[in-house]
Amino acid sequence: MNVAAFALLATAIAIYAVLDGYDLGVGAIAPFVARGSAQRAAAMESIGPFWNGNEVWLIVAGGLLFALFPRAYASAFSGFYLPFTTVLWLLMFRGISLELRNHFASELWHGFWDTAFTGASALLAVLFGVTLGNLVRGLPLDANGYFLGRFAFLLNPYALAVGIFALLALAQHGLAFLTLRTDGELAERSRRLLSRLWWGVLLLYCATTLASLALRSGVAVGAPMRSAPLVVLSLLALGGVHWFSRVGKPGLAFAASSLFLVSLVLAAASTMYPYLLPGFPAGSGGIDITNAGSGPVGLARTLALTLPGLLAVVLYSIFVIRRMRGCPRSTSEL
Amino acid sequence: MGTAVVADRIQFAFTVMFHYLFPIATIGLAPFIAWFAWRASRGEDEVARRASVFWTKIFAVNFAIGVVTGIPMEFAFGTNWAPFSAKAGAVIGQPLAMEGVYAFFLESVFLGIMLYGRRRVSAKLYAWSATLVGIGSWLSGFFIVATDAWMQHPVGYRVASDGSIRLADIGALLFSPFAWWQYAHVLLGALVAGSFIVAGVGAYYLLAGRDLEDGRRYVRLGVLVALVASALVIFPTGDRNSADVTKYQPVKLAAMEGLFHSTNGAPLAIIGMPDTQRRELIDPVVVPNVLSFLAYGNFTANVKGLTAYADTLWPPVALTYYAYHVMVGLGTIFIAIAALSVLLLWRGRLMGFRPLLWVLMLAMPFPYIANEAGWVVTEVGRQPWVIYGVMRTAAAASTNVAAGETIFTLIGFAGMYFLLGLLFLLFVLREIGFGPNVATHATQEGEV
Repeated sequence: MNVAAFALLATAIAIYAVLDGYDLGVGAIAPFVARGSAQRAAAMESIGPFWNGNEVWLIVAGGLLFALFPRAYASAFSGFYLPFTTVLWLLMFRGISLELRNHFASELWHGFWDTAFTGASALLAVLFGVTLGNLVRGLPLDANGYFLGRFAFLLNPYALAVGIFALLALAQHGLAFLTLRTDGELAERSRRLLSRLWWGVLLLYCATTLASLALRSGVAVGAPMRSAPLVVLSLLALGGVHWFSRVGKPGLAFAASSLFLVSLVLAAASTMYPYLLPGFPAGSGGIDITNAGSGPVGLARTLALTLPGLLAVVLYSIFVIRRMRGCPRSTSEL
Repeated sequence: MGTAVVADRIQFAFTVMFHYLFPIATIGLAPFIAWFAWRASRGEDEVARRASVFWTKIFAVNFAIGVVTGIPMEFAFGTNWAPFSAKAGAVIGQPLAMEGVYAFFLESVFLGIMLYGRRRVSAKLYAWSATLVGIGSWLSGFFIVATDAWMQHPVGYRVASDGSIRLADIGALLFSPFAWWQYAHVLLGALVAGSFIVAGVGAYYLLAGRDLEDGRRYVRLGVLVALVASALVIFPTGDRNSADVTKYQPVKLAAMEGLFHSTNGAPLAIIGMPDTQRRELIDPVVVPNVLSFLAYGNFTANVKGLTAYADTLWPPVALTYYAYHVMVGLGTIFIAIAALSVLLLWRGRLMGFRPLLWVLMLAMPFPYIANEAGWVVTEVGRQPWVIYGVMRTAAAASTNVAAGETIFTLIGFAGMYFLLGLLFLLFVLREIGFGPNVATHATQEGEV
């Protein structure tokens, strides 16, 4: 049951990475591909109807962590106090900038909020990466499982590299989305930038993957074995992004990019398993799925009460996305 | 109580009270928007069509700020109240996770259709979307109130061997009568606010001599709903909430009423200032025996006063007392305004009777105050407990977060929320200024 709960949590985070990933990516990369106010508006509106629903996956992942593993939730959120508060402020700023940009027909006004949106999106991508990097690396927990997440400790080279990698990977995901959901010059420029950015993603992917394996190999027994298939899968998916984008199949390129993110999140989860918050230095225990759990009955009930709902969410989200197909206005419509 | 706990409490109170301003409007306006959207989906009714577009814009600004200020609330349990979360997370995490899964998704996903899909989907699907968004916002309120109700009156739990609290019976939590009466009261409170907003904006258009057809419609629908909702807020829901407090939280009741000494045939204080030093209500105006009747249905029943309990168990008396009296006083005034308006509406005189239109317009902020005051009574009155009778607030705050850090983030939140508040007012007043007959402005052609 603990394993199922861990898997559900990892799945929710993976879905979040894919969904909010593309709107974070579009936000971060938009100024580099969208020329002029019409294209900027088109880029923003390609994500407009969806970003809110996407972000709910983060809320739900937080809620699931709370219900399934209360101790891990308490320790992580209080330990990362200032970094998480920063994430909050960025999420808030990002949310309002997208909602408010359309309220005045003024270039200055749009420019300000677009820049705010880009800055907040890029920083969030980096911070999520840094958080993930630190989770894989481990945290110095005290006897009660609490820690003090000092910036000096959290901003280590490994975690920062994962942060930059996350930014590039999400930017790639955003470009794949723009190629798929917009048209004309904007889509073409997105496709071209995607094939150049891809090399950067590949480079950092290799570096961070090797570093992760080195970090965790001596610690969790069998971690490299568990994550090996996922690493292979992610490599294939990354290759697919490049290939499908080159042969002009944007749908498949976006699917490959999604698969890439999913396999990365799951690979990170499988290296951490069975820990939710591994200790630092590596091998010093940590908060795991047994000592953080809300008990077998609680876990089973949470799964039973949330899974049907999540299934319904997936179904009606697909319905809405299909109904809204063609919704992002092409530049010619403006 | 250490500085850190005080800082944590101030931060939570400030962020949650600011946040709640926006759900009040979304919960309260959602049924109106769904109503207008269904009327519009049958064709013909142009006023309803314009109304559904106009009110969706107001709703959207409220929703966006409600979302961004709501995320910190979910984080706050873990960041500022880690021991509480570690101990009780298995219980309160459950309804909070369900809120995300069953309510928040529904709202967010279908709001996408309402905001961007007006010209892409049929009027029927649009009306369904408005309905589902409304259901989502009401369900969301339910899960939050059920969580709070459990903290007020914990049921269906057991304490595990490691001291953590486990949920033994989710049904007991979700179907607790305490929770349902509290939920009905909260929901109706938001509906009072929503109906006063609709009527108030309509009154403004009539007074300004513009958008007359729309204004009359808003005033008519607004005052009718306001009368029903403001009556139901007091009876039976408010009355049942008081009965539950009397039964389960008698210290809170004594603080609400400013009753220091246990009394047979206790009086109901209308005016008066509680003084905890002298342990009496200063300069009171009271109605004899009525408190005993309201609490126990018996004019001579004994009501326990604050001094019947150790003062370490007292909530902050003055805050609880004043908040309660502000809420009840305003609630009574709302009924009076709504009843008079409906009377004149029935006589066909309301739309031309400017003094009452002025009152309706200026009344708009007051339901917000009443709603917030109600929450102050509930939450401040629960002190010194975070989970009533189970866990003290002083033991609930994070020990690995220093007071200085909380003060720093509190200042950050204050700055951020000041900005949000200004932007909110700017946009809502601007939309009201455009009015329902300026359907779109330059950049929003094609959307709402």
